[in-house]
Amino acid sequence: MADEFAKGFGILTSAGLIWMVLAGWFNTPTFEAKEYPQLLAPDPANPDTYTAIALELKDGLFWFAILGALTFWVVIPVGRELYAAYASE
Amino acid sequence: MADDNENTETRTDGSGPGIVAPDDEVPTWRERKERTQGLSRLTYEYFERSRREDQDLRQESSYVERDVLGFPTWPHELIRNLSLTSFFVGMILFLSATLPPEMMAVADPSTTPEIILPDWYLYWSFGLLKLGPLNPELSILGGEKLMADRTYGVVANIVVVGFIAIVPFLNKGSARRPVEQPFWGAVGVGGVVFAITISALAIKNLLPLDTHLLFDITFLAPIVATLISYAVLKSMREGYMFDLNRRYYRLRPPK
Repeated sequence: MADEFAKGFGILTSAGLIWMVLAGWFNTPTFEAKEYPQLLAPDPANPDTYTAIALELKDGLFWFAILGALTFWVVIPVGRELYAAYASE
Repeated sequence: MADDNENTETRTDGSGPGIVAPDDEVPTWRERKERTQGLSRLTYEYFERSRREDQDLRQESSYVERDVLGFPTWPHELIRNLSLTSFFVGMILFLSATLPPEMMAVADPSTTPEIILPDWYLYWSFGLLKLGPLNPELSILGGEKLMADRTYGVVANIVVVGFIAIVPFLNKGSARRPVEQPFWGAVGVGGVVFAITISALAIKNLLPLDTHLLFDITFLAPIVATLISYAVLKSMREGYMFDLNRRYYRLRPPK
């Protein structure tokens, strides 16, 4: 990984990929339903243990994709700018 | 090599001032150390290494005249292509193993669908058939239209296809990237956006948008996109990376 953009992008795509697979398993009862889009159907009722773990993992990966990318694209660069600005004073 | 350096013309065998930087253009070690940005530093070191390898090869070997300019196929090109190929093949295997699409219901040939549409990649042509509001009512004909709306749509198809057909003859420049020719890059962006908006016009009865507003957007959005991309491409013609890439792209064979 060469730079911060690639790190954030890698997090976004790989976490998003796993999120998409899990959402395809648990939140896509059919590809043709009119009432809700693919991958975004409500969670299954009364999940067994493994399903509950997978749903938690899916939720975590979703926020990891968003926050991880934002961390490398926004937070760390801003922090470096601030550090450089304070260091130069 | 000394003779070639006095020649100002970039030569196809890789010699000449356009390929290997003259001594006064080669950055000092201090300048190299100052380029500590991640990607630009990596890119710089890659090209610098390639340049050095190229220079060494040409100075050491008797193989002076080369017909083809560029990087060697092995390992530079092949490793890159193999890794890209492996990635996409692996992604296809992964997705087909984890997310198999369900089998759709068999099409019923005895009933006609309510909405008849072509395949999505032909929506632009379908949208061009719906340009009725642009068909002028000529006062010289007493308010009559010169041709029927459906004829007008077919003529619009001919005009657009004809324009696309003459594009290769309009500009045969050697530019490889949009920043090198911002005007034509912006024209291309406008064309792509128009293809999208005219496709949206083709399915106007399926879109949650006012039809007249959609019709206006169809023709205004490409113009806006053209102007924005022209401004962006113009402003991209500055900076270290543009110069670095320009040096790389000068490696291409002459027209």
